[in-house]
Amino acid sequence: MAKIAIIDDDPDILDASSLVLTSKGHEVITANNPDDGYKIVVDNSPDLIILDVMMNEPDDGFFLAQKFRKNNITTPIIMYTSISKTIGMDYGVNEMVPVDEYVEKPISPAQLIQKVEKLLHKHIER
Amino acid sequence: MNMVSLIPPWAQHYEEFWDSIKARNSWFIKLRYSAVLMLVVFLTSTRLLFRISFTPTQFYAISSITLSIFLYNIILTRLQKYLKNSEEGFNPVHFSIVQMILDLYALCLLVYYTGGIESPLFLLFIFHMVIGSMILPRFVIYSSACLVIIVFSAIVFAEHFGLIVHHGIAGFLKFPFYNNLSFICVSLAVFAFVIIITVMLANEMANRLYKMEENLLDSLDKLNAAEIEKENYITGVVHEIKTPISAVQSYLDLILGKYLGPLSSEIETRLKRTRARSDEAIQMINNILKISRLKLLDDLGKEELDVKRLIGSAHEKLKMQIEAKEINFTLIDNRKNKRKILGDKFLLEIGFSNIISNTIKYVDKYGKVVITMNDIADGIELMFCDNGVGIPAGDIDSIFQEFFRGSNIRHKGYEGVGLGLTVVKQIFTKHGGTIRVESPSSLQDETHPGTCFIITLPII
Repeated sequence: MAKIAIIDDDPDILDASSLVLTSKGHEVITANNPDDGYKIVVDNSPDLIILDVMMNEPDDGFFLAQKFRKNNITTPIIMYTSISKTIGMDYGVNEMVPVDEYVEKPISPAQLIQKVEKLLHKHIER
Repeated sequence: MNMVSLIPPWAQHYEEFWDSIKARNSWFIKLRYSAVLMLVVFLTSTRLLFRISFTPTQFYAISSITLSIFLYNIILTRLQKYLKNSEEGFNPVHFSIVQMILDLYALCLLVYYTGGIESPLFLLFIFHMVIGSMILPRFVIYSSACLVIIVFSAIVFAEHFGLIVHHGIAGFLKFPFYNNLSFICVSLAVFAFVIIITVMLANEMANRLYKMEENLLDSLDKLNAAEIEKENYITGVVHEIKTPISAVQSYLDLILGKYLGPLSSEIETRLKRTRARSDEAIQMINNILKISRLKLLDDLGKEELDVKRLIGSAHEKLKMQIEAKEINFTLIDNRKNKRKILGDKFLLEIGFSNIISNTIKYVDKYGKVVITMNDIADGIELMFCDNGVGIPAGDIDSIFQEFFRGSNIRHKGYEGVGLGLTVVKQIFTKHGGTIRVESPSSLQDETHPGTCFIITLPII
């Protein structure tokens, strides 16, 4: 099974997402701020990163994602968003924001599992 | 080249400033055409009316001055189009100065050929100064006032001392007084005084008017900025509220998904209700965010869109709910004219899916929903009719108000917070359309009055 890093400043979201993913047999490592998040990714080289778009500052998640890509960390990224679709900031998966998938909060377990499996599968194929 | 700025420092609203200068410029051009007409009348009829006569030199001089004014006014009319509203380049203020110089020159000549100090036309200088004060910066108008006084005095004194020929109008005065030194001195002193005071007063008033207009526009800007700030604040606060509710829902989903072990059916039922109620809160938050976005968004997206496709995609999103209630859903397209509409795809999709989900919510199982598309003048009419619970007559006028819910649905277990239709109305109005509601609808039966939402949208 895969090693997944979850980076979010909301401890309950971290807990809930960890529970869902560990129940599927994945190994989960977590961090609650961008700096620790960067560190756990570098130290553990996970197979997938889940990142909250807003941590202390709006856009923290985007900057962290860009930092990963700049430093040649190509691990697939799922981004948690909470306002994107609602207010029409349809980020979409594009070159400006180097992430592979979006999950809108509140996170539904089924959707999270489906997106994680899809990305892991794609990553292995590559 | 470092030029002195001709634009007053308080003119922050450049467009309005230029527009008002332009309006006055074109007004002066019209005024000048009437001046030409008056000169022609003066040339042809005064001889008969006032028993005065011009010498041939005077006649030709005045005729050619009139013709010149007419010609340069035509050129000015043409030139107007090429003005640029910027401090650099030839702008409307420069244009005013050119007009001013030309007019002063023409007027000096006219006064000279009609008798200098004896000519009543020199009073026109005052009129000219009032006009100039309205559009020209202070230092320009004061300089031209001084110039007028100097040039006019120079003409008068030069005539008096015989340096230039005096062109008195025959039959006008019994005794010419251009050679009476004390008369011309007093007249010139009074003239100078009147000119300076007139310019001061007129310039002061014009500036005050401009500033008042500026202050008004400024207040308007501030109001708009405050409105935007308020909406941003709302978005921020509402988003803060959404975060903990999202966490609660994530846990609920986890528990309901039995990730933490089995649940008794008693607990599961209550937790499902909890989930539904918190979902209500999320829906409400999302709607508030949508309304705020609508208020912040003055520039809507302008894509060419196919209405049928928009309704189709809204239907697709709600398919599960429609199938769950086994609703008989029909779309009738009566249009001959299948032209597209111009609008914001994201918002219109929200609009249509809100209307359809509203319809689905208030029809019973096996209910009927019919969407009809019709041509109307310059637009398209969309009717969303159902055979649901309907809307009591007394509520029809209020259903588009924020947080309003129909009196017949409040206690019957229909969930909702009463923001959906407000969003819908805002969306369609922003697109130049209208929305109204009719109940009972054409699909009514004895127990179900039903509702019709009728939306119109302009087509391209």
